[in-house]
Order: sequence, then structure tokens, then C-alpha cells
Amino acid sequence: MGQQLTRRDTLRALGAFTAAGAFDWPAIARAAHEAHAAAQSAAVAGAPLTYTLLGAADAADVEALTSQIIPSDDTPGAREAGVTYFIDRALGSFFAHWRPTFMQGLNGFQAAVRAAYPQAASFAALSSDQQIEFLHTVDRTPFFEQARLLTGCGMFMDPSYGGNRDNVGWKLLGFEDQHTFEPPFGYYDR
Amino acid sequence: MKTYRPSETVDFVIVGSGAAGGVLARELANARLSVVVLEQGPRVYPTDLRHDELKNWFLGGLAVDPIRNRQSFRRSASETAVAPLVRPPLFYARCVGGSSMHYTANYWRFREIDFRERSVLGEISGTGFADWPISYAELEPYYTKVDWEIGVSGQAGLDPNDSPRSKPYPMPPVRVKSSGVLFERGARKLGWNPVPAPLAINSVPYGGRPACVHCGFCHGFGCEVMAKAATAWTTIPQAEATGNCEIRAESYVSRIETDKRGRVTGAAYFDASGKEQFQKARAVVLAANGGETARLLLNSAGPRFPQGLANSSGLVGKYLMFNYTARVNALFEHELNEYKSVQVTRILHDFYDSDPKRGFYGGGGLDCRIGPQPAFWAIRTASDGPAWGKGYKERLREFPRSMQVSCHTTSLALESNNISIDPTLKDAWGIPAIRVTYRDHPDDLAMARWLQDRGVEIMEAAGSLRTTKGPVTESSLAFHLLGTCRMGNDPAKSVVDKFHRAHDVRNLFICDGSSLVTSGRGQPTMTIQALAFRAGEHIARYARRNEI
Repeated sequence: MGQQLTRRDTLRALGAFTAAGAFDWPAIARAAHEAHAAAQSAAVAGAPLTYTLLGAADAADVEALTSQIIPSDDTPGAREAGVTYFIDRALGSFFAHWRPTFMQGLNGFQAAVRAAYPQAASFAALSSDQQIEFLHTVDRTPFFEQARLLTGCGMFMDPSYGGNRDNVGWKLLGFEDQHTFEPPFGYYDR
Repeated sequence: MKTYRPSETVDFVIVGSGAAGGVLARELANARLSVVVLEQGPRVYPTDLRHDELKNWFLGGLAVDPIRNRQSFRRSASETAVAPLVRPPLFYARCVGGSSMHYTANYWRFREIDFRERSVLGEISGTGFADWPISYAELEPYYTKVDWEIGVSGQAGLDPNDSPRSKPYPMPPVRVKSSGVLFERGARKLGWNPVPAPLAINSVPYGGRPACVHCGFCHGFGCEVMAKAATAWTTIPQAEATGNCEIRAESYVSRIETDKRGRVTGAAYFDASGKEQFQKARAVVLAANGGETARLLLNSAGPRFPQGLANSSGLVGKYLMFNYTARVNALFEHELNEYKSVQVTRILHDFYDSDPKRGFYGGGGLDCRIGPQPAFWAIRTASDGPAWGKGYKERLREFPRSMQVSCHTTSLALESNNISIDPTLKDAWGIPAIRVTYRDHPDDLAMARWLQDRGVEIMEAAGSLRTTKGPVTESSLAFHLLGTCRMGNDPAKSVVDKFHRAHDVRNLFICDGSSLVTSGRGQPTMTIQALAFRAGEHIARYARRNEI
């Protein structure tokens, strides 16, 4: 809400609410973008560095799982985007209504890991190859679907929610976060 | 700005301020009738709008959310309906401007055939397939009114099968994007007729609003420069300027009240503070969308109307139609950057008509776009390829070089597809919730698959490096909410007459997606709005003659 007010105030200051005809739309769009970017960086600066909902063991498993969904290679993956922090924050606030199914699903997931690898301490403790092998056995479950959706949100949604840090998700996609574009837009419409 | 007290009897209460309600408000207010529009959502200004996918798709930024606006879903009457956690099944915008705020603004007219298809093709057993009580010719002047008064960009005369039109578009089409160039190239190689997409988006300044700045966030978002013609920026300010119309936002109608004679007396609603109010009116117009209008009628049952208001036919809520959209995803060598600019710049209507040779009923239209914005695209792209891991990440890198062909098709009207009241679920205001029962007719899915194959052919002819088909599975989420209070001449087989007056209640009118008899080929808003212009004219005439 504070971000919205900031942005509206910026636009008010620019005179966006003066008489019709005097509107400078490119300027308004630019202001919109600047306010948007300011809100994002303010939010990222305040992003949590500790988990508030997930315990350390659960957080480690979620981190391992989401890092297999979007792995890190020569470019950042879910880990660098802060996806686990995003999930922790989301389930404790705006996605609180998803929390019961997620936590229940995570328990079931961990139980299935113990059954498949009785000697392993946790999913996070498995080797990457073992993790991938195990995920192939559960990747059609509702829990995996929910984890995949949350990973997508944490990777690609607006950074103000605590994920997509440094816009790494948008950089992966090649998406420019801008409020106006000029043609040509691509190779084929030049 | 004019305001009315709830205890004051105004000429009309209009429930809903969207594509239909926003137009009806202006038409009635222009006729010097006093109007109160009750809109459940807030008033939103351009500067309130953000490119925030999470908020708009999951947290009810403009639209219904799964916490306050609960709805349940099931496929058949034998199942217990469940309320989804992620998104309500009928995904509509709740704000001044309604879903015209967050639509993609594809403005296709229906064609002559849509209004008399039942007569041409014959009965389809087990369905409510029917002709409309009006023809294309009767609606044509109002389609033209939408073109000019709402503002539609496009180019007439290029499609040899297009329905006749009395005037050209007021604006040239929006500039073609890479997806449009490729779509056009492929379709032409196949001998088909791609044409510029008609859009309710300004290609040049029009109606006191600027041209599109190509931000790319149309579908699911409000337009920050007002280039996309939400009624919130078009007819609603005009209605207010008459001095005869109050738009009362955050006023959520729970019930339409009736008196002993069976006439409506006004609307009960919750105001912004959650307090119950009652607005008195000489007549009520429902334009709350094909989901909410039906729910409101069913929730307004009383001694005189035991199965719901205006429901002697038993058809309120029935014949729900969603339209189906199948997807074709295509990868090209170079960048398209489809996330920029309006969603769609080229369409194809060569397969509009149903063809008995295919072995099933159906028709459709194709368009080209990226699909949703980046985050949602990334999430959804797992549905027709690797869903996680290295392969998924490789796929994500293809975003700038990807496009989608959307294949929009007919839905058959079935009694078993409907809105009813959930027996236990209530929304955050305590109002009994919508229960959706829906399973696509086999012909709907057959047509979607058939048209999807045409989409594949177009992309392959355009030189796509890789073409994949999205899944064609039964619908569980809808943006087009059609058919639930259909218009017709026979009170036993329809809810409203050809002028949108409820057969059962003389001073109750219903005009929105619920009025549609057939589904068209996707993109119903143009027709909903043409109906609203036409209904507004007739309803104003009734009011002037004291016939309400």
C-alpha cells in the first residue's frame, strides 16, 4: 500500500491530475516506471535474510527442491533469486491460505524421501543425482505442483515480494521491466 | 458529481459497472433518467495500476480473489464442489469498469451465422443450441456504435467473409508485432486470410485518450495510459457528466427485493464499511456478468419466486458457456519480444463456420500473441515441455523467441453446465457463494483440437523451429461468462425478451454476458457491449413511456 501511495504521490507531483489535454503521457509512464523501480529496491533492501516460518531443516529441503526446479548453472537459478525466502515470506503472509496444504505436502514429501533413502538424513542431504532421481517419482503430485508454482512466483514475480532478486528471473527470460516500448519490437517486425 | 440518497427512489439501479453496465449507465443517464450504479469493487485510477502479476493473478489486484470472493467448482452434479485455493473459477474483475478494465480488448463482432446457426445446422441433441431472437442486421448499428463511441482500431474490408458493416473503423489497426508478421506469413502460404486484429485499444489518440505506449500489460491488467477502452475511462465519466448518474463503488449487492405484486423495489447491498444498505429504484438493471447476475437472481428467491427471481423457466444460471482456448507454442530463430505492446495484432477467421464434414459442431478464430506476461508464461510453459530442471531452464531462455497461437472456439449450451448456489459455502460478506458445474461438450474439445492443428500448420509454414501443442483438457477456469440468462421470445425457454426485459418481472432488465444465446467464437465483449447500447435505447424508451 505504501508503495502505491508513493507512486501516486509522484504522479500527483508531476501534475498528472491537471486538466485534460495537458497530460504528458510518456512522462507519466516514465514516472510510473521510476516509482515502480523505487518500490522494488526499497522492498528488496528490506527483504528478510532469515526464515520466519520454515524451520532450518524444512528450509534446507525447500531450498534443495526449488533449486532442482530451476537449477543454477552459468546463470542464476532459484537459489540466487531468493525463492526459499520468498516462499517463507509468502506462506506467512499473502499466501497464508496455501500454507496448510504446503506444509502437509512437505511432510509427505519428506516421509517419501525417508522411505526411498532410509539412510539419508533429508532430501537436502541427498546428492544432486539422487535428488533428481527421487523427484522423477513425485513430480506429478499436488505438492510438487504447488512447489513448482511457488518457485515460478519466487523466481519471476515482482521483486517487491522478496524473490526475483536483482531481477535474475527476468534476466533469465530476457524480459525488460519497462512501462513504454518503441517499435520495432522484434526481428520480424523491423 | 451527482449523488443520491439510498432512500430516494431513483429511476434505475444498475448492478455492475463493466462492459455492459458502464454503457447502460451512460445511455440511461443521457436520456435524463436518474441512475445509481452499484459496483462491488473499488474505483481504480490509472496511477493505482501496476505491472504486478502476482497481485493481479493471485491476490485480487483487480479481480476476484479466492479468500473473499469464494466460488466452488465441480464437473458434474454428482460431485461435491470444491473452492480452489489459487483462483476462483470465474475470474472477473471487480472494480469500476469491471472486466473491461483487465480484458485483452479483442473486439470481434459476431457474424450473421451466430444468430441463426440452429436454423442452418439443425438440432444438436442433448443441448440447448438455439437461434437468437435478433439478427446480425438488428445489432449492426450498435456494433458500429461500439466502434465509434468506445473506440475500436482495425481495418475493414480485408476479410472476404466478414459480416457487412455500415462504417469503417474509426482508427487504423495497432502496428503489427513480430508474432503478427509470422502468423500472417504462415497463413498466407496456406492460402488463408489473416487480418489485423480489431482492438478496443487506441492506435492513435482518440476519444480524449492517448495512443497505446506498448507496455505489454493488457491481459489481466488495467491500462495506465487509458489507451485500452475500459468503460471506467469511456462511458462512465460521460454518464457522470450528465449530472444524472452516481457510480457508487464498493457497493456489493446481495439481493434484489420485490414487493407483493412481484415488482422489484431496489437493491440491498453492503457498503464499503460492510453495513447493509438499500437503494430504492423504479426499475433494476442487472449487468453484473454471467456469473454474478445469475447468482444474484438465485439468491433473491422469495415467496413469489421460490426458485429464484425471474426464473419461472428454470433457466437462470443454466447454459453457461466459457469458450475454449487451445494453445500452440512456437519457437523462432530470432527475437520477437512478444511481451511488448498489445497482446494481439493479427487474427484469422477462415474457420469461423461450423462444417458438418468435420464430424462435430464448432467454429473458431485464431490469433497470435505471447500468452500471459513473463512470470505467468514461465510458470505455464511447463505444461507442454519439461516442467523442471535443466530442460525447463533452457525452455525459459526461449521466451524472447517464442510466440503462441490462441485457438478460440465455440461452447455448446448445456443445462448441465451452470451456476447454482453452493449449499454451504459463503463469501466474506456472508452471501451464499457461486457453485460452478462445468464440463466441456465433446464437440467443444474436438473443435479446439481441430483448430489447434491449423495453428500448428500456420506456425510450421511460418518457419517455426519447434511447434508444440498446449494440453486440451476440460475447463476449470473461465474469463467469458456467457448464457446464464439467455434472451428469447418464449418465456418457457428463455429468461429475458429480445429487449432484455425479464419475462417474469416487468421492471427488471438483464443485460450482460448472461444474455447471449450462443457463445460466438471467443471474444464476446464487443457483442455484450453492442447489446448494452441497444438495450439502453429500448429501456430508456420504456421508462419515458412509463412502461417500467
